Amino acid sequence: MGIRWQHLAAWAVFIIFMLALPEFVSKGTLRTIIFANFLAIFAISWDVLSGRTGYISFGHPFLIGIGAYTSAILSYRFGFPIALSIPLAVVAAMIGGTLFFLPALRIRGSYFALVTLAFMELMYQLVQVIRPDITGGTRGISGVETITRGAVNNFYLSFCLMALVAFSMWLLMKSRLGTALSAIGMNEESVRGSGLDTTKLKLAAFMIAAFVAGLGGAFYVHYLGSIAPRALFDINFLFTIIVAALIGGASTIIGPMIGAFFLTFLLEYLRPVLPGAERYFIYGGIALILYMYQPKGIYEVAKQGWGRIQAARAGAGS
Amino acid sequence: MSQIIIQGLLLSGLYALIAVGFTLIFSIGRVLNLAYGAYLMIGGYVYYHVTQVLDMPQLVGILLAVVFGCGVGVLKYTLLVKPLKGDHVAVEISTLILAVVIQAGIVLVFNDSSKILHPIVPGVWRVGGATVTFNILTAALASWAILIGLYLFVRNTHIGRAMQAVSMDTKGAAISGVDPDRINLITWGISGGLGAIAGVFFASYTQLNPSMWVAPLIIAVAVVIVGGIGSIIGTLIVAHIIGFMEIISTTLIAAELRGVFTMLLIIGVLVMRPRGLFGREEL
Repeated sequence: MGIRWQHLAAWAVFIIFMLALPEFVSKGTLRTIIFANFLAIFAISWDVLSGRTGYISFGHPFLIGIGAYTSAILSYRFGFPIALSIPLAVVAAMIGGTLFFLPALRIRGSYFALVTLAFMELMYQLVQVIRPDITGGTRGISGVETITRGAVNNFYLSFCLMALVAFSMWLLMKSRLGTALSAIGMNEESVRGSGLDTTKLKLAAFMIAAFVAGLGGAFYVHYLGSIAPRALFDINFLFTIIVAALIGGASTIIGPMIGAFFLTFLLEYLRPVLPGAERYFIYGGIALILYMYQPKGIYEVAKQGWGRIQAARAGAGS
Repeated sequence: MSQIIIQGLLLSGLYALIAVGFTLIFSIGRVLNLAYGAYLMIGGYVYYHVTQVLDMPQLVGILLAVVFGCGVGVLKYTLLVKPLKGDHVAVEISTLILAVVIQAGIVLVFNDSSKILHPIVPGVWRVGGATVTFNILTAALASWAILIGLYLFVRNTHIGRAMQAVSMDTKGAAISGVDPDRINLITWGISGGLGAIAGVFFASYTQLNPSMWVAPLIIAVAVVIVGGIGSIIGTLIVAHIIGFMEIISTTLIAAELRGVFTMLLIIGVLVMRPRGLFGREEL
């Protein structure tokens, strides 16, 4: 699990390539990439929790929504500056993450997934009912202050955020903590048997996931400038996040990024052919076939393909 | 008061019907079929198309809905669940993806707008200040009849007992000469058919639209979790708890809160008593 210079070089090449991108592509493509960046952040957050530890979260929009709503409400209703509302939103998301963590003490597997789904639906309904004068009720809030304007600025902002999140998560997952979390996903009992405190480890995973989700959610709402409950606490949104993480390759960092870009561009290229919600028919179909073919995702397919090429070359050489 | 009791009883009957197909799959294969709501949607839309677009008799509509539901259930088992070999997480995720695909497919075929289903049995009945539509009354009666039928089927027929055996212990059942694969296939088919017929009634109670599968899925999940793994009686009891809770919160507190208590119940029960209130390891 060591960090080698090739890894760092790959990161550097990737970051330089992306930073140079606005020189070459259109504004429309940049806007698509902005969405892909945010989706990648959410997918990484999901993957840190679910891809590693095996505690499948069907309620990730709950965490993202807490971050987004807190920041939107603080800045729009109470006039907080964004520099203050985003950190507070992250804190709120982490408190939400603690709530999320409670059921994980006792249940796992399918039951845990269902509880998180219940959390998401609960939040969806509460947001509309409790103090609609603050949350904006069913219609949500629009006119939230944005951080910057223009596709290029927003692209740099979202990309820097995504790269920062991805790189720090990569470092963290290379550490002993990441190894321990993956071990929990394989066999929680034996991790506990080796004398590690699984409760603390799980709590750490939840806190990290909530931190990233809250951060992503808060920046996302200040990019969009509006927020509505059905756009956020929605099974389709959840589906996009999970599919991005899984299609790319769960329990890697690069996987969710690949998945997010692949899916966002797929959806974008389908737009001229199928304008409405029908796009999800093809999008979901491709996701389903890919998932059935290789549950470990595109990253694994590419790795195996590369391995085969290497083997063929070695075979030809000898 | 009589309004609450009557409405509660009728709604609970419908909820029991919605949940029972989901329970069946969960108890046999221990997998959560998150595309279960899609059966209801398929059932509802098939019925709509047959009776209101093609103008065929209602009975044909219901029959075709059941046939479609069964077919989708069987297909889902052979194409999706069986290849994944009981990997629970993989089944849950792939059925979630499938649900979204089916939703989009419905949009593709029937477009986005909501459709109102004519009541299956028109007319209203007034009892002591309460108004009861014949439609929901039929739904409740039908659901009772179906539930009793299912209970007898599971208890008394050979296939039903084989289903019980698989639900208790798959390997043991296989050793005793039951083919778990075949039983699973049959169960998925039955579950699909039940879902489809529940969908016809559910759609006539609310309306048809491409995202209508989420609410019944949540209801089914709530009933199964709170009732515990696969007990038909538990399903029935919890369907009544949830049905009455919804009616009481809608009429006495606020209509918007109808789902909140259901969610709190799911979370509460799962955290306090992960096996559910009536959790037993049998059907």
